[in-house]
Amino acid sequence: MFETFAQFYQDLIVAFTDPKKRVYWGYLAVSLGIALLWLKCKTPKDEAWFGSKLFSRRIWWSESARADYLIFFINRFSFLFIAPLLLAQLTVATWLFEALHQWIGHRPVLGQGWPDWTVMACFTLFYFLLDDFFRFYLHKLLHEMPCLWVFHKVHHSARVLTPITVFRAHPVEGILFSLRTTLVQAISIALFVFFFGSRADLATVFGASIFAFLFNITGSNLRHSHIALGYWNWLERWLISPAQHQIHHSTNPVHFDKNYGVVLSVWDRINGTLVLSERNQDLQFGLSKQVEIGEQKLLNLYLQPFLEFQEVLLSRITKSVKALTNR
Amino acid sequence: MKVKVLVSAVVMATASNVFAAQNYADFPVTVKGYEGKAEHSVAYTGQAARQVLHTSLKKLAGKGNGQANPELKAQMLSYYEGKDAGREIISPTSKGAFVVTETQVDELSKEKNLSGKAYKGAVPGWPGNMTGQEVLSFMIDKASAANKGYDPLTGYDYAQLISKFAMGAVFYNQAVDNYLDEKLEADTKPNNKAYGEGKPYTGKEHVWDEAFGYFGAQANALNLTAEQVYKVAKQKEEALAYADVNKDGKVSLYNEMTYAHAYYAAGFDKGGKTDYLHTIVQAFVDGRQLIADANGEALTDEQRNKLKGYAKTIADNWEMVIAEAVFKYAGSTYKDLQKLNEAIESNGDAAKLFRKYAKHWGELKGFALALQTGKDNLGETAVKLNRLVGFSPVLLGNTQVTGIDAKGNYVQSSSINMKEYMLHMLKVQKLMVDQFGVKARANDVMADLGDLADKLGSGSSVEND
Repeated sequence: MFETFAQFYQDLIVAFTDPKKRVYWGYLAVSLGIALLWLKCKTPKDEAWFGSKLFSRRIWWSESARADYLIFFINRFSFLFIAPLLLAQLTVATWLFEALHQWIGHRPVLGQGWPDWTVMACFTLFYFLLDDFFRFYLHKLLHEMPCLWVFHKVHHSARVLTPITVFRAHPVEGILFSLRTTLVQAISIALFVFFFGSRADLATVFGASIFAFLFNITGSNLRHSHIALGYWNWLERWLISPAQHQIHHSTNPVHFDKNYGVVLSVWDRINGTLVLSERNQDLQFGLSKQVEIGEQKLLNLYLQPFLEFQEVLLSRITKSVKALTNR
Repeated sequence: MKVKVLVSAVVMATASNVFAAQNYADFPVTVKGYEGKAEHSVAYTGQAARQVLHTSLKKLAGKGNGQANPELKAQMLSYYEGKDAGREIISPTSKGAFVVTETQVDELSKEKNLSGKAYKGAVPGWPGNMTGQEVLSFMIDKASAANKGYDPLTGYDYAQLISKFAMGAVFYNQAVDNYLDEKLEADTKPNNKAYGEGKPYTGKEHVWDEAFGYFGAQANALNLTAEQVYKVAKQKEEALAYADVNKDGKVSLYNEMTYAHAYYAAGFDKGGKTDYLHTIVQAFVDGRQLIADANGEALTDEQRNKLKGYAKTIADNWEMVIAEAVFKYAGSTYKDLQKLNEAIESNGDAAKLFRKYAKHWGELKGFALALQTGKDNLGETAVKLNRLVGFSPVLLGNTQVTGIDAKGNYVQSSSINMKEYMLHMLKVQKLMVDQFGVKARANDVMADLGDLADKLGSGSSVEND
C-alpha cells in the first residue's frame, strides 16, 4: 500500500519535472513567457493586457478547472493499476522484430556507409511522423465513431482550458492513448532495429525527442488556454497553432470535428478538416453553448460515458436486427 | 590496556571465524573415532584433477595438423580415459607472475580420468545415437585428425565442442544428477560413517565436497567479486594477490583456481544483472556447514531436506549458467552469420568470418548439449533446441550434417540457408528466455530494442491532445 502511494507521489512529481512530459515546469514557464509577450503585443492599447486571461480565478478555479485537477489525480492513481495490465511496447516490438525476420526470411542491412547521425535523424523523424499521424487518426476516430465519442466527450466538456485540461480524459480514452503509443513505438523500434541494428537511435534534448522538445518549448501548453495565439496562415497550413486547437474546443457547430491534429496540420489538410484561426477570435468552449446542470460533476464525467456507450451499442444492435429482418 | 588487547583479540578471532566460514575450506573433522592427523575434512582433489584433465584435453584438441594423427589421439585419450601416472598439466600452466603450484595431474590426485564419470545417457543433439561418453570419444578421434581442432568441411571446432560438452557431460551431470541427487538419500554415503576406511571425512561431507569440486570455484570465491574470480580464471597477473590465499606466492590448482562453470558464472555476473557464482557457492558453503554441524551423526530427515534445498539452489542456478551460455553463443553465432552474409554479398573475405562462426557455433552446440545432461529431462525444450541448432552449423552451400554413416563419416544434406539460420539463433535466445528466464543475456540480439524502448519511455499515458 505504501509502495502504491510512493509510486503515485513519484508519478505526480515526474509529470512536472520530466522534460519528456507536456507539463514539465520548464515548458510551462516558457509558455507563460510566450503568453505574456503575445498579450502585450496583441491587446489594444486602451485595454488591460495583463491578467484577465492568464491569472483569472474565473478560469483557474472554475468548476470545470477544478474537475480537471481532480481527474488528473484520479486518473494518475487508477493508472497505477491499469498500466501493468496494458501491453508493453517492448513486448510488441519483440514480436514485430521476430515477425519481420520470419516474413523477410533474413535480415537485410540498410544504410551501410551512412553516417550514424543520418540513421538517428531518420528514426527520429519517422517516429515523430508516425506518432503525429496516429494521434491525428485516433483523435478523428474518437470524434467520428459514436461508441468512442461518448468517452472523448469528457475532454470536450471542459468549459475553461488550462494546461491541466490535457489530462482531462476518461480512463477508457487513457487506455486507447496508451495502446496507440505502444503501437507507434513498437513499429518504429522494431523496424529500425531490424534494418539498422544498434545504429537506430533517438535524437534527444534533455532526454526528450527533439521534436517533442521543440513542440513543447514553443508553447504547446497554450493549446489548452485562453490565449488565442495563432500563426501566419501559411504556417497554420503546416503546423497547428494553439488558436487552432482552441477552435477544436469551440461550441460553435461550424467548428465541430475540425483540427484533429497535434503538431502537424497536414493531416487535417488532407482530411478536409483544417480550419485556420482568425484574428481576435473569441470562442466559448464546451460541448454546447447551453450549460447543463451537473456537467462538471465527477460522477457524471466518469459514469455517464458508460451509460451512453450502452445506448450506442443497443441502438447498433437494434439497427442490425432490423436490417436483417427487412432483408 | 590488557583489556583492550583482549577485546581486540576476541574481535579479530570472531572476524576470522566469520571469514573462514565464508571460504569453502577448513571445515572440521567430524568422523567419530577418527585417529588420523587431518585437521580439516574438506577434500575434492579428484575433481580438481578432472578440472585440469579437461583444460588440458581442450588444449590438445587444438593441436592437430589436419592429418590422421594416432600419437595425438593416444595423448588425448590418456587425458580422457587413461589413468596413467606422469600426465603433465598442459593447461593451466604458469603465466607471467601468475605462477601455479602443480605441474602434474598426479600432484592433485592419482589415477583419475574423465570418461569414467561421463554421462551415460543418450545424446539426441549429436548424430549417431551415442551416449555422452561415446560422443566425447568420437569427437576426440575427429579432433586428432583436424587442423588445430577445426574441420572446415563440417564447420566443427572440436576444442570448443569437446570442452563445452565435457563440462556438462562430466562436471554438471556428476554434480547435479549424482552427488546432489541420489547421494543425498539417507542410505547412501551416510554421515555417521567415514567415506572410506581411515578417511577424515564422512560420506555426506565428501559427497558435498565432490559436487563443489565439479563446479570449479576457488575456495575463497565468496570473498571476491565476480570480476576478480573471472580474472583468476583468466590468470591475470593482478589476480595472484587475491587468488593466493595461503600467500606462498603461487596459485594452487586445487583450491585457489577457478574453472569451468564457475568461470562462466563469474563472467555473466560481472555484468551486474545476475549473481549465480555467489548464490551457488553460498549454497555450497551453507550445505557444508549444515553437514559439519551434524558433528558426525547421521543426518535427520529435516536436515537432509534442508540440504536438498541447498542442492536445488545449486542445480537451478547451475542450469541457468549453462542456459545463459547457450543464449550468449546463439547471439554470437547470429552476429557472425550477419557479418558472413554481408561479406558474401559484397564478395568480401568470408574464410576468417566462417572460422569465427564455427568457433562460436561450437561453443553454442557444446553448451546446448551440456544443458541436456542435467537431472531432469528437458522434454520439448530439448527437442526444440536440437532442431534449431541442428547437428552442425549451416554451411556455405546451404548444407548441414544430418547423420553419421557406418564408417563414422559425417553425412551432409541440403538445409535452410544461412540467412534463415539466423532466425533459428534468434529463436534459441527466445527459448532460453521463455524456458529458463535467463537474465544476464549476453549478446542479446534484441538488446537494441530494449535500449531504444527505454529512451522513448513508457507508453502508458492519460494525456489528451
